[in-house]
Amino acid sequence: MTSRLMFRVLGALVAFTVLARIPVGFDVGFKFDAALAVIWAFGLLSLVLLTGYVGQISLCQATFAGVGAYTAGMMVSSLHVDYLVAVIAGVVVAFALGVIVGLPALRLRGITLAIVTLGIALVFDRYIFQDHAFEWFTGGTAGWRVGQATMFGVRMDSSAHLMAAYLVLLALFCLVALLLVNLHESGAGRRFRAIRDSELAAATMGVNLTRYKLLAFGMSAAIAGMGGAFYPLVAGSVSPQPFWLFTSLQFAAIAVLMGVRYVPAAALGGAFMAFVPDVLTRYGHGTFMGHAYEISYDWFQIAVGVLLIVQLITLPDGVWGDLRSRVHHAWSAVGAVGGRKVKVA
Amino acid sequence: MTMLRVRDLTVRFGGIVALDKVSLDLNRGEILGLIGPNGAGKTTLFNCISGVVRPDTGSIYFDTHSLTYAPVHERARLGVARTFQNLQLWGSMTVEENLIVPMDALGKRNTFSDALYLPFSGFAERASQERARAILHVLDLDRYARTIAGDLPAGIQRRVELARALAMRPRLVLLDEPAAGLDAQETAHLAEVLHAVRQRFHVSMLLVDHDMSLVMRVCDYVYVLDFGKMLARGEPSAIRNDPKVIAAYLGEESKKLTGEVQTVATAKRDERPLLEVSKLAAGYGGLEVIRDINLTVRPGEVVACIGANGAGKTTTLRAISGMIHPRAGRVMFAGKDVTGSTAERISKRGLIHIPEGRGLFPNLSVEDTLRLVSNTAGREVDISPAFKLFPKLRERRNQLVGTLSGGEQQMVALARAILSDPRLVMIDEMSQGLAPTVVRQLFEIIRVFRDEGIAVLLVEQFVESALDVADRAYVFEHGTIGLSGPAVELRSDRKLVAGSYLGTAVDAAAIASANGNGHRVDPALMEIVSVRVPAKVKRALEQRAETENRPAGAVVVELLEKVDHQ
Repeated sequence: MTSRLMFRVLGALVAFTVLARIPVGFDVGFKFDAALAVIWAFGLLSLVLLTGYVGQISLCQATFAGVGAYTAGMMVSSLHVDYLVAVIAGVVVAFALGVIVGLPALRLRGITLAIVTLGIALVFDRYIFQDHAFEWFTGGTAGWRVGQATMFGVRMDSSAHLMAAYLVLLALFCLVALLLVNLHESGAGRRFRAIRDSELAAATMGVNLTRYKLLAFGMSAAIAGMGGAFYPLVAGSVSPQPFWLFTSLQFAAIAVLMGVRYVPAAALGGAFMAFVPDVLTRYGHGTFMGHAYEISYDWFQIAVGVLLIVQLITLPDGVWGDLRSRVHHAWSAVGAVGGRKVKVA
Repeated sequence: MTMLRVRDLTVRFGGIVALDKVSLDLNRGEILGLIGPNGAGKTTLFNCISGVVRPDTGSIYFDTHSLTYAPVHERARLGVARTFQNLQLWGSMTVEENLIVPMDALGKRNTFSDALYLPFSGFAERASQERARAILHVLDLDRYARTIAGDLPAGIQRRVELARALAMRPRLVLLDEPAAGLDAQETAHLAEVLHAVRQRFHVSMLLVDHDMSLVMRVCDYVYVLDFGKMLARGEPSAIRNDPKVIAAYLGEESKKLTGEVQTVATAKRDERPLLEVSKLAAGYGGLEVIRDINLTVRPGEVVACIGANGAGKTTTLRAISGMIHPRAGRVMFAGKDVTGSTAERISKRGLIHIPEGRGLFPNLSVEDTLRLVSNTAGREVDISPAFKLFPKLRERRNQLVGTLSGGEQQMVALARAILSDPRLVMIDEMSQGLAPTVVRQLFEIIRVFRDEGIAVLLVEQFVESALDVADRAYVFEHGTIGLSGPAVELRSDRKLVAGSYLGTAVDAAAIASANGNGHRVDPALMEIVSVRVPAKVKRALEQRAETENRPAGAVVVELLEKVDHQ
């Protein structure tokens, strides 16, 4: 057990060091993408917990991230607190909202729960993030501008110190991801999975459904909110657009595409969500055989749809899930030939 | 010492009274059986005790705690565990993990310390693992500890469910149809396991099952429910011979003389069969429910399928009509191979299936429902013949089907079937939930079907009424056909059929023939019965035969006659 834990800690450290080096040397645009990728990865990670582990459907994860973002933006811009405090506040508010959203999930499941969460996403998108009545929270149409922010006394803000923000984000992501992997194998994780496999059996075997479902929604929202809370820092301001309804739907689609039950799939999906549209808009225009062409952001959405269909047919457990099991097979075949069994966590 | 006390429990679903002032006592260390025919309210009572259904009035006490309105997980904490009829294991986890969940759901463990892998969590984890191994060992499941539960065959999964229930350190285990889907041998093994479990884990059990052989084998005391009321209670041996119980299971004994029913002319018998099923096998998921089913229906013939619940009758109909895909075997209808064809194609050939629950649209009016036939048939159909057959429906032609009584709904289903001009109608549990007088009316209609030259394949719980109307019958047992023959013969041999339902001690008939004392015994019957009778009963019979110094067969036949006379 402990050797497994060591293996995981090691894996997280390696992932951190490798990923931390990647954006070095690229322009600000790509550095921004890298930071954004981690923010989206938090959103996807929240679905790994909620959908992958507990089997609950949510189509309002971007709302949780948005609430985290606005809370952090408000704290920094109007109260001028340390950014760490702002992040904590964002996480706490998102957790609270998650528990509230979890309440209908005590009674609903499947498609009805999806509709309810979709409604919540719509309400927040239209009537809170974009409404005058909530200007104290959203900073009005201009949104909060986060020009200067410090964390642990170190300056980190969008233009000049983007790498610092990226490193903090990445470190946090690796930590949360590690905790989630641990959680999967632990007692609480088993109770979560028990709810996913059969709620009825879980309840009869003494699992307190109310408590664990609310906990799952709260924790999931907190994870999404944690990512969102860094958004003002990375982008320099908050606006409703990144956290609108469509992002929530995209979270769900990409989480399934990459493998909703696997933690590393969240990182993969985050990178996919942040880099692919940018690369498309940067290099997606020119002339080909005399014809001018332009690939816009719309193409990304179409591509996601097509990929999702292809994935559901060919890789039902998601890109990461199926590749992982294939590697496992190959690995155990190698182990059998070599005469020794190798265990992969 | 009463452990579980149920007092005057009443449950209503809409207008239906599912349980009517039912009381029940379970003593410490007892295995209590709860039986009754379909729709008797067993499951409702079970669900009240396990907390899935809330009773309208009445009370449930477990020791000194009131369970009446306690939340489900609270019951687990008090020591009430349960298993599920439709396996509810956590399929993506290993067997061991399945056992550990209830163990530490009851111990207070912290989500965050678990995620952080604090040492405390590690110790608790190891302790749970050891206990899980111990339980698995007792149930002879050691080698599956690391297997993913969803990959196991159904029989093993049932045992894992039991193991999981025991992992909660319960004092009372509620078993919901533990023998469903098991064959005779597995059922016998299960009975042994249950006895071992009681001895080893000091638990009491409440067992709900249709499989009488299991109930008779393991239970100390049996309660019988019928139409939501407590019909009888007593020791298994007394229950088995209780005429009220036999009547509840087999329907009222018919008072008609056998000669009154006309059977299909012999000339017809030589005709080519309309429906020919050979070696059919089908099931759901990991469960194979039926195997090796061979049956035929000739044109214009009424054939009944009878047998205890869970014997595979409904599944057979579904496999024939294309609602589920057969796994093996062949279905020939009107000279064409329709195996695995889609349901709508089969129905176009003139094979109509009226499913259990009638398959009606509650929000359509009677007239619209009947008119719908013409649309699906692709041509306009005159619906007046239906009203001629069922004058009552003409009065209610504008009423919504959902607001009709059960009997009237069944009439609509039958009328709809007859309008589509079928050659064979399969009716599943026509009399379910209906009062006996209504049932009698409906069976009259089956005769009308026959007069019109339409063949009928009936699945029925009420054996007597079914045999009254049928030409031939098949008796289903544990997923195969145990016995078949002309209805007249089966009817006169009531105890044969009773044997298939109640696991009656008819098996002694087998002994009788072995002793060669001249009593005629059907070899097919012997086969059914030999797997059905508990060793204890058999031994008692042999003992009695020895003291009375006569062949065991004679004793048995005498006993059976007594049962019949009661």
